[in-house]
Amino acid sequence: MKSRIALAVGLLTCLVAVPAAYAHHSFAAEFDGSKPTRLVGTITRVEWTNPHSYFYVDVKDATGKVTNWGCEGAGPGALSRRGWKKGDLKIGDAIVVDGYRAKDGSNLVDARRVTLPDGRTVYGGSPGDGGPGDNGTDQGALPGTSSK
Amino acid sequence: MPLLQHLCQLLNDSSFGTMIRESDYAYSVIESVHVLAITLVFGTIAILDLRMLGLVLRPIAVTRVARAVFPLTWSGFAISFISGFLLFWAESAKMYTNPSFRVKLILLALVGLNPLIFHTTIYRRVHEWEIQHVTPWRARAAAIASLTLWSGIIIAGRAIAYF
Repeated sequence: MKSRIALAVGLLTCLVAVPAAYAHHSFAAEFDGSKPTRLVGTITRVEWTNPHSYFYVDVKDATGKVTNWGCEGAGPGALSRRGWKKGDLKIGDAIVVDGYRAKDGSNLVDARRVTLPDGRTVYGGSPGDGGPGDNGTDQGALPGTSSK
Repeated sequence: MPLLQHLCQLLNDSSFGTMIRESDYAYSVIESVHVLAITLVFGTIAILDLRMLGLVLRPIAVTRVARAVFPLTWSGFAISFISGFLLFWAESAKMYTNPSFRVKLILLALVGLNPLIFHTTIYRRVHEWEIQHVTPWRARAAAIASLTLWSGIIIAGRAIAYF
């Protein structure tokens, strides 16, 4: 009997523990919180998509070289609730994105603070992803604008 | 572009696929339905698998357990298949190249093969062993294969988000 219980516990541990390690698509799975990055550039592409939105920005460096950066944000539902509607961002718009670089070193950031062309600043993080600015609410906390 | 990839792109760009992909709430609701349906599939099939391994419901004949769980398992499978197809529809162009999605499809094919082999072999003589507490090794092998494959499908499905 004891060995059967041990087997059952072992089986359950395998079934429960392994998927738990994957949890949800958290900030830390893809991005490095120690690599804050500010992108200033123009929009080249917008993907208003589930489960995450993406937009792409051409950024010119000091030497005049243009690099295209991908920016990942929350899905349409979460962004809409923060007042950022589909179509607010158009190709060619000037934009400022404060985010964190992808761990794999690619030109991808998690967009935490997005300054839209009309001057509005929106929290771009996915709700509950545990990254910087995630304060447990749907709205998140914009770095530098909230006490916490 | 391979034909299959072309079809995925067409599906992806269709108005219905785009509607789900760009929706405020539909996508996350479908996701929840998909997860709930998976719990029904895995939860009920696991009862039968654990019975065949002799871990639960040992006084009850295997055939009785099977008859009790199959309608639930199949309902769960139908709902998870439909909801899963809708999620695929929304992101089919991305899914075509997603390694984790490919692994999931292969595992789904294998998990379909498992009961096919099981029912055409050892289950044909189920009346000889249905009341045994611990079933013949081929039935136990099928049970372990089922638990392992379904676990793999769930893990691969969850991992789609990370590629």
